[in-house]
Amino acid sequence: MTPAAGDALTWSYVLAAGLIAFTLAVARKGTSAPPPPQISRESSGLSRRTIAAAVMILLLIPVTIFIGAYYLDDRKYYFIALLILLETMLPFFLVFEGRKPQARELVVVAVLCAIGVAGRAAFFMLPSFKPVLAIVLISGVAFGGETGFLVGAMTMLVSNIMFGQGPWTPWQMFAMGLAGFLGGVLFRKGLLRRSRSSLCVFGALAAVVLYGGIMNPASALIWTHSIEWDIILAYCLTGLPMDLVHAAATALTLWFLAEPMLEKLDRIKTKYGLAS
Amino acid sequence: MQNRDAFSGYHPAINFLYFGLVLLFSMCFMHPLCLGISLACALTYSIYLRGKKALGFSLAVLLPMMLLAALINPAFNHQGGTLLTYLPGGNPLTLESIVYGIAAAVMLAAVILWFSCYNQIMTSDKFVYLFGRIIPALSLVLSMTLRFVPRFRTQLGVVSEARRCVGRGLSEGSLLLRLRNAAAVLSIMITWSLENAIETADSMKSRGYGLPGRTAFSIYRFDARDKTALFWLLFCGAYILSGWAAGGLYWRYYPTMRGTELTAFPLSFLLAYLALCLTPVILDVREDRAWRSQSSRERGAAER
Repeated sequence: MTPAAGDALTWSYVLAAGLIAFTLAVARKGTSAPPPPQISRESSGLSRRTIAAAVMILLLIPVTIFIGAYYLDDRKYYFIALLILLETMLPFFLVFEGRKPQARELVVVAVLCAIGVAGRAAFFMLPSFKPVLAIVLISGVAFGGETGFLVGAMTMLVSNIMFGQGPWTPWQMFAMGLAGFLGGVLFRKGLLRRSRSSLCVFGALAAVVLYGGIMNPASALIWTHSIEWDIILAYCLTGLPMDLVHAAATALTLWFLAEPMLEKLDRIKTKYGLAS
Repeated sequence: MQNRDAFSGYHPAINFLYFGLVLLFSMCFMHPLCLGISLACALTYSIYLRGKKALGFSLAVLLPMMLLAALINPAFNHQGGTLLTYLPGGNPLTLESIVYGIAAAVMLAAVILWFSCYNQIMTSDKFVYLFGRIIPALSLVLSMTLRFVPRFRTQLGVVSEARRCVGRGLSEGSLLLRLRNAAAVLSIMITWSLENAIETADSMKSRGYGLPGRTAFSIYRFDARDKTALFWLLFCGAYILSGWAAGGLYWRYYPTMRGTELTAFPLSFLLAYLALCLTPVILDVREDRAWRSQSSRERGAAER
């Protein structure tokens, strides 16, 4: 067997595995009991859906990079990156659709998104001083990683419907969704505590490392269409002040809002028996 | 909602397909003529849609952005064969990197202008209609979010009025007191919105949300006009894509600029691209002319 054929075989295995993971991710969840509304530190297991989605993310991305590098011009980094982004977001949306969410869950997600959108609109005169990330993190902590992802992504999508879509929309959706997802997962794993200081530190880090770390290279990619480390570094450096303002806004909002809002969400969950 | 122009009266799928094609091609094709066509058409359409506002936006926002984007590339990118001079840092400044920077700037401006047209045409109801079948739950979340924002605003007014009536308004007392009152209003708003959400959900459930066999209301109809437009867009898209695959729109910037010669074939692809980009403007102008001749004929009939 030639090396090239072996390579192709390996990739087809990867593709098959990706497809299996995809089916697992999309398939209806089995008849396991719903997790308790309040997650204690002991039950830190992730749901099977979460794991399946993570596996798919890890598998489909190499496939895309491979296909993009072979069949597209090598300079089309932008499209490879965009496809990876959409593939990463897809399982979250499909899983959400696939398990036929109840009306109560839908409406709560919509309310959290609307609070985020209203928060972004309320601070329109202060650039990048936005409470959206804080609200997304709170949603992730209260309702789990998947809901956190949905709230983050949908908040950015809807607020861009109001303030103008652009090539940045999918990146913002992804960055915000990932922040919510990580917040939820880390909280379930017990690494992120519900204390004020823990949330504030995580919020500031998420604003600079996660959101800034995605949006700055993304704008370099959108604007110049090529990967030059110098250019990306220049974008990151010019974006850093904005990220710091964003981090300050997130930490401040979490400092004042996290506890009362988590309390309110817990109350809603207990009062109406909302699971997850 | 009132249609802004003739093209937005077409089926949402047609609108979406058009913008998808145009945005994809604008981002894909770095051929200078393609970029020029895209920018010119985007500018024309946005001026048609928004009038003087679009022109002001392009001059005030887009031009500086373009300048920045055009400057960044030669400052960091030193590829290219035609050496012009040396930068203060000792790096070479090449003609190719300058031209590529300008091309990237034009692409950026075109994409942003296309998106400004998209925001005018693809209103949220069209978006929800298009994706309501594929992702029903998420598009419901989307439309509910869009609804909740103005609803929150109204309720905010109600709550703060009520608070003012009991002497805890947002504009009374010291700064600390005011902040406290604002925090109280925010807390009330969040509790209210969550409780209200649950009520909405229960109301939806009691009206049969999620039961099988329920249909979705839609105001859009896919008629003969839309069919023609669909064929036209698909034809143009396929023709341009085949031209791209055949290398008719090839252009390379580094190390020296070179592209395919402008013979009949590449030219026909460019013309198809121009026609595709100008589709809505042509439709609008035709509609305007028909409307004007109709109304002038009616006026003439009235005078007679």
